[in-house]
Amino acid sequence: MVVRGLARRRPVHTERDVTLVSPLEVGALGILGIFAGWLGAVIGIGGGVVIVPALVLAFGYDVRVAVAASLVTVIATSTAAGSAYVGRGLTNMRLGMTLEIATTLGGLTGGLIAVLVSPSLISGLFAAMMLLTAFLVVRSREARPPAREQPASSGESGYETRGALAGAYADPRSGALIEYRAERLLLGWPISFLAGIVSGLLGVGGGFLKVPAMTLGMQVPIKVAAATSNFMIGVTAVSSLFVYFARGYVHPFVAAPVALGVGIGALAGTRTAAWVSPVVLRWILAAVLALVGVQMGLQALGVRIG
Amino acid sequence: MAEDTLDVRAHRIVQRLLLAGLIAAFAFLLAGMIIDLVRGSSAAPAVRLFDLARAGVHLGDRVMAIGVLLLALTPAVRVLSLVVLWAVERDWRFVTVAVVVAVTLAISLLLGRG
Repeated sequence: MVVRGLARRRPVHTERDVTLVSPLEVGALGILGIFAGWLGAVIGIGGGVVIVPALVLAFGYDVRVAVAASLVTVIATSTAAGSAYVGRGLTNMRLGMTLEIATTLGGLTGGLIAVLVSPSLISGLFAAMMLLTAFLVVRSREARPPAREQPASSGESGYETRGALAGAYADPRSGALIEYRAERLLLGWPISFLAGIVSGLLGVGGGFLKVPAMTLGMQVPIKVAAATSNFMIGVTAVSSLFVYFARGYVHPFVAAPVALGVGIGALAGTRTAAWVSPVVLRWILAAVLALVGVQMGLQALGVRIG
Repeated sequence: MAEDTLDVRAHRIVQRLLLAGLIAAFAFLLAGMIIDLVRGSSAAPAVRLFDLARAGVHLGDRVMAIGVLLLALTPAVRVLSLVVLWAVERDWRFVTVAVVVAVTLAISLLLGRG
């Protein structure tokens, strides 16, 4: 297996203050980033769920170092992607910020939990999340996530209402503005809090919790929910990254090449998205997630592989 | 409710500011990497946020760490800009919301210190 082939013969790092990287390793980190960024741009799942296990299993880093590096890339992609949708009025920033009260608390909590518990527990939780994500990917009928679709017109696609959690979005076919109102904030908040913890603890965006929280729990249309989630993800990631940053889990020489790679890969992904079949990719991703998830789970339990 | 042109323009300005911050961050990341690679530095130490100015941190790592910090600040800047923009719109309910989020981010910075 590719992952096993790349695995270093040295033990997994437990001391976090010094890591040696050769230029070759820096290049490999960059390539990992390019791949993760590309995948994320093409099928909407990539980033953290690919980066963290690769850094832990293939590069041998402490899982918290991996999560911190992943959070850096999550912030970068969120800020970059947000620009495409905020300007079009699809993102409901009032809704996003309201939920962010809970999500940032969750991110902060997740970060604190991460620095206090054993890395094996984090790896184990991450493995469980990978298996869950693999299941969700297989079940999902969307070949391309709605957030990546470009609006039909180049003009405004909607707006958010002042003073309330509501707005409107343009129906792509008729162009008519359809109004919506967000309901049941008391349901949205706890799920957002949980999404924040997951993001802070595992280094992922958490969109797979945030979007359903809005669409199912709060009756928000999916296009708005996806755009708003993208917008929220960066803010959440910051709340936990600050914790990692202050405690010394950010290794810039690890985060930098991966983040640069993700930037390049995501740009390439938006241009090459038409070349590949998202459906095939999702199946391959689901298979890889399942296999690597099992590997990570076994490692967390102390079973050595390869 | 019709959109306010000032509103849309203000958001676009903030968006451009954030993208500029993103590009600056990437520039720092790249520059720091090049510095370390050229100098043959093979260590990838952790850099703590509050130790950024401490002597003994390699230049390349310091530059990259600034890049990471810039990246981390872009969402924070967005939150603060919303405080301002919503205050201009006199949407006080959401000004409060944004302030709470900003305070939470600040707390995470301080709490992280341990």
